[in-house]
Amino acid sequence: MKEPLLILDNIRTGYNSDPVLREVSLEIYPLDFIGIIGPNGGGKTTLIKVILGLLPLFSGHIHFPSGKPKTGYLPQVSQIDRSFPITVKEVISSGVGTSGKLLPFLSSNKKEKVRKMMDEAGLGGLSSRPIGELSGGQLQKTFLCRALIDEPDLLILDEPNTHVDKHFEQELHEWLKELNKKMTILLVSHDIGTISPMVKTIACVNRTLHYHPSNQLSEEVLKVYNCPVDVIAHGPVPHRVLKSHGHE
Amino acid sequence: MSELLTILDYQFFRHALAAAVLTSLLAAMVGTYIVSRKIVFIGGGITHASFGGIGLAYYMGLNPFMGAAVFGIMTALGIEWVSGKGNIREDSAIAILWSLGMALGIIFVFMTPGYAPNLMSFLFGSILSVGKTDLYTLAGFFLLTLFVFVVFFRPILYTAFDPEFAKVKGIPVRTYRYLMSVIMALAIVLSIRTVGIILVLSIFTIPQITAMLFTRNFALIIPLAALWGVTGSVAGLFAAYYMNIPSGASIIFFLTIQLILVKLIVTLHRQVQRRSG
Repeated sequence: MKEPLLILDNIRTGYNSDPVLREVSLEIYPLDFIGIIGPNGGGKTTLIKVILGLLPLFSGHIHFPSGKPKTGYLPQVSQIDRSFPITVKEVISSGVGTSGKLLPFLSSNKKEKVRKMMDEAGLGGLSSRPIGELSGGQLQKTFLCRALIDEPDLLILDEPNTHVDKHFEQELHEWLKELNKKMTILLVSHDIGTISPMVKTIACVNRTLHYHPSNQLSEEVLKVYNCPVDVIAHGPVPHRVLKSHGHE
Repeated sequence: MSELLTILDYQFFRHALAAAVLTSLLAAMVGTYIVSRKIVFIGGGITHASFGGIGLAYYMGLNPFMGAAVFGIMTALGIEWVSGKGNIREDSAIAILWSLGMALGIIFVFMTPGYAPNLMSFLFGSILSVGKTDLYTLAGFFLLTLFVFVVFFRPILYTAFDPEFAKVKGIPVRTYRYLMSVIMALAIVLSIRTVGIILVLSIFTIPQITAMLFTRNFALIIPLAALWGVTGSVAGLFAAYYMNIPSGASIIFFLTIQLILVKLIVTLHRQVQRRSG
């Protein structure tokens, strides 16, 4: 059995002194691809923020058995101020590893790395474009590049498929499948229909967490875990909307 | 033209010119940070709270700008601290400090025996009375700010743009935020000399808004804002002298007229380009 990358041990966390999540335990292993689903306000973003160290723990522990992994993070696009005067190149450069020190200028090989990544992602021509002038898909790509430029071991994505078209969704799907060969991925979404074909396992978060060791949420599983999700039309997933359950 | 320039024979005018240029250069850097982060209201809070320090220093017979600096820095750090807490409304805290500072200033000035002749100069600026010491202080602080902006440009930009991501990348976000708060407070207090409390915010915003008609790149806004700040304030200063009007108000008037003209030219140019393209 492989050693877990990170262990959440009975954690309770939230904002100010308001607990949003309680009794959350989860083991994440290298090369896992976990879809984190649940209703809005259920604590999905809170869960990833506590893993990222952006929120304090009220109780419980987070362990990193083999040291803190290098982490790439893609926040919700709605959290980003799109009118901030910053270019695509600058956003991606902000993800370049600092190893403790942040020099005034990027070294030439890191600049080259940023340029290469932009080309690969099809953002090459947009390098000096301010982010306010990008489409939804281009913006998501820019922030995904920022998360990936440092070659992380753990990639955390918060709703990467909002404000994007179907074409980008497909592209993202392929991209993540490829990335998952090298890194562990946590993907937050309120829309299980879109993410279930991508992920390997599913964690349902609604104040607390239920882990499903598969990407198929059958009616039985949903019943057993009493997991409220908006199920949207997609191949293997039953098309139905379940009522909220008694977590709240 | 030569008649226009005879004014340069006067030392007080040369000093005023140097102060206008230095203030514009300083405000170009700090103002770009303020406008990009959309924290103009915080700037307003710092500016007005510093009046409390001016009043207190007057009352105690100290240098008013030292008082303003202490009050300005305390307000800036206080607002940054409140914004990190999350359970206090930041805008309300700013409003309280804003009016409390003004109130304290008025009380102290009122309690000081005799007439406070320079009070108006703090409210509206007194660039024509800038001395050598003032210029050296302004120049020294400008160089320090320039150094900070060059050496720490990336963390300043990244913590301003997306503080959570910067934190995930291991940048000490709070340290940089506090550092920038202190720089912001001192830059504002030092610029009060040029345009006064009531008008100071415009020198930190109008050149930036003019620059943003041309670029949305943080690093390029700074030099462009410096250019527009210098042209507007120098024109305003000459006009103030020849038309015998208050210099602070004249500078702000010229900065605004310049913004409107540039905006018109840019809009017309784009329309012509669209038609021919």
